[in-house]
Amino acid sequence: MAGQDYKKGVSEAKLDYGWRFQGKPVLLHDDISTIVDESSHLMQMALTQMSKEYFSVERCLQCGMCAEACPNTMLNMNGRFSPREFIQKLRLGLLDFSGEDLWFCTNCGSCESVCPYEISFIDVMTDLRNLVIERGAGYLPHSLKSAIFSTANYKNPWMEDPGKRGDWIKTLNIPILTKDNTNAMLLFVGCLPSYDEHGKNVAKAAAQLLNKAGISFDILGEKEACCGDSILRVGDYKTFEQLKTINKRSFKERGIKNIYTLSPHCFDVITNHYFEKHEDTFSVAPFVLLLHEILTKSRLKIDKPINKIVTFHDPCFLSKHNHITSEPREILKILPGIELREMEHHGSKSICCGGGGGGIWLDRKKGERLAEIRLREVLKTKADILVTACPLCLSMLEDAAKNDNRFNHIEIMDICELVMKGVEQ
Amino acid sequence: MKVLILGGGITGLRAALALSEFDIEPIVVEKSSESGGKVKGYAKVFPDFRSGRNLVKNLIDSVRNSSNITVFEDSTVTDARKNNGTHIVSLSNGKIIEADAIVLACGFEVFDATRQAEYGYSVYPNVITSVELESFLDPEGATKGKLIRPSDGKAAKRIAIIFCVGSRNVKIGNPYCSRICCSYSTKQAIEIRENDEEASVTCFYMDIRTYGRGFEEMYQYAQELGVKYIRGRVSECSILPDGNVQVRAENTLLGKPVQGIFDLVSLSVGMMPCADAVELAEMFGIERGKDGFFLPADEDIFPHDTSREGVFLAGSITGLKPIRDCLLDGVSVGGRVASYLKNLYKSR
Repeated sequence: MAGQDYKKGVSEAKLDYGWRFQGKPVLLHDDISTIVDESSHLMQMALTQMSKEYFSVERCLQCGMCAEACPNTMLNMNGRFSPREFIQKLRLGLLDFSGEDLWFCTNCGSCESVCPYEISFIDVMTDLRNLVIERGAGYLPHSLKSAIFSTANYKNPWMEDPGKRGDWIKTLNIPILTKDNTNAMLLFVGCLPSYDEHGKNVAKAAAQLLNKAGISFDILGEKEACCGDSILRVGDYKTFEQLKTINKRSFKERGIKNIYTLSPHCFDVITNHYFEKHEDTFSVAPFVLLLHEILTKSRLKIDKPINKIVTFHDPCFLSKHNHITSEPREILKILPGIELREMEHHGSKSICCGGGGGGIWLDRKKGERLAEIRLREVLKTKADILVTACPLCLSMLEDAAKNDNRFNHIEIMDICELVMKGVEQ
Repeated sequence: MKVLILGGGITGLRAALALSEFDIEPIVVEKSSESGGKVKGYAKVFPDFRSGRNLVKNLIDSVRNSSNITVFEDSTVTDARKNNGTHIVSLSNGKIIEADAIVLACGFEVFDATRQAEYGYSVYPNVITSVELESFLDPEGATKGKLIRPSDGKAAKRIAIIFCVGSRNVKIGNPYCSRICCSYSTKQAIEIRENDEEASVTCFYMDIRTYGRGFEEMYQYAQELGVKYIRGRVSECSILPDGNVQVRAENTLLGKPVQGIFDLVSLSVGMMPCADAVELAEMFGIERGKDGFFLPADEDIFPHDTSREGVFLAGSITGLKPIRDCLLDGVSVGGRVASYLKNLYKSR
């Protein structure tokens, strides 16, 4: 009976936090002193300075459509993340910066795509993260800390040697254009395809495809830095500016007009955050579009049937942010012997793999990974191969599938590798 | 003294009555084949549950009884110009009318629910609009007041009403509140519960805006009757194999996702400016606001006057109004036009 007595004691002791309603003090049963911390004051101050984001937060209707769209709500976690609740807590100054709340968002854009008031939740999120990074206003996960450090110093997130960035192409024996050729097309490779084992395969496949189609191209090699997408989205604006300057200088030195990026993240950040309106003389596109063009114009002969059931995972930065959904599917239809089966959520309603917005640098426990939701949907389609068009998605999905015997029979590959399979003799 | 009234709805008819009492000759031009507007289709109107049909019938009877009102049905305006202070208006039925003043009372249009594709209107048979629900609830309607599932004709017992469809939505270009949807949906929910005690009604709302006299009481009565209100905007409707509709939303007060299976889902559609708004605004040279509704010259002191002399606005053309306010607008525009004409003739 001792337990009951204890409970009784707690319910009777009411706490005064200085809140007043109609002149009378509002007393609370529960101790909320741990929720209201000093960061809320800092947060309110900073928010009023960010006029656009503040406006977004203030005009939110609290309708809850975003909470239904957010992939994080599909995870069965305690204290699930909901954009609506996040904004409400922010308005009330109850947001807990010392917790993980801030780092759940993967910037997939689902909430923005359903929001009836067009609230730029991602911008709000990024600015709040900036508070943590620049002012130390809250908790910064350790893995993120080291990734940011590495990106600032080594221009890639894994402390790899920047001088070895272009090494993957050396084994291929493909001629790379020199400086003189100003009309050259640039393949912006990105960090994962430069250093990651599977990523390198994607880059090699892309280079070989270009070579076979007779398209000459250039890579920046050691002059390439990380595009800065994840860095920008975790809120480290200073490092992003550095990376941007390095890459822009390299573009200028080579006199490049055409850029194709292997990762949709690089594509998005270069188009939307690299150039001011008046200096936009570049054409930037994701590699999928080039591949689509090559295949539809029959510049590449594909004669080897693949004979597999394939499903396509839409990367958020292609589908939701840039509305590219039909081209990758058209590529798959051109390939002989492929049966394309769609997952429950596809196209613009696709579910995020969890890799965007710095999510790729976080260590998520099994059962808390967004990629697992995606893989469960793949199982339902009974597909042999899961194809995607983004190195981050590839890495996240592979990581989730690797040590899980439910999923490890699924072959996960990039669309370049799949096309390469059809070309190889 | 002739006044041309565009629109034979309740506002136009009430304005005609008011003008005829001043010995002014009103000419009502109605686009459809029968005057009375949208209200003639409503069996009951909020907040007092009187018959909208009777209301219109009484109005039309009074119009017929007064000797100097002319009503042209099945007609539209094809051209309008001004000559020596007189408006010369050509109608589609070939008549040319010389009028001293013009009252625009063209009302509103119901939002096209197919534009919010996530609710599956016109794709799923059991997702209907509030206008269709109104006709289901009408004892003289097609179903004799019985609520059925359009997919198989069975009685509908679990009904969901989704508020704010086509209102308060920046994305589709309607940031405004349509004002009357909360009230009419609550009225419909009450009717469903009163007709059938076994039926359950669940309303998904964002804010309940029952602002008029008697509206809030109606909302409280609905809650007493057991109508469930869940705060949260529905993100998606999906169909189940048996024709039932699954509705997903977040209960934002509890912060928990809710899922419900319903026989029938009614979308409380908002309102849009009338279909001919662009054409009319151009023809008469009147400004429209960002929301598409017409702008009076001075919204506060002269709510009926426009920037064009002799052209007046009344009813829902300047923004959504419930039936009572529209009738009130009809009376008030009558007085305003009469005083305008008096001054006009004095100066001639």
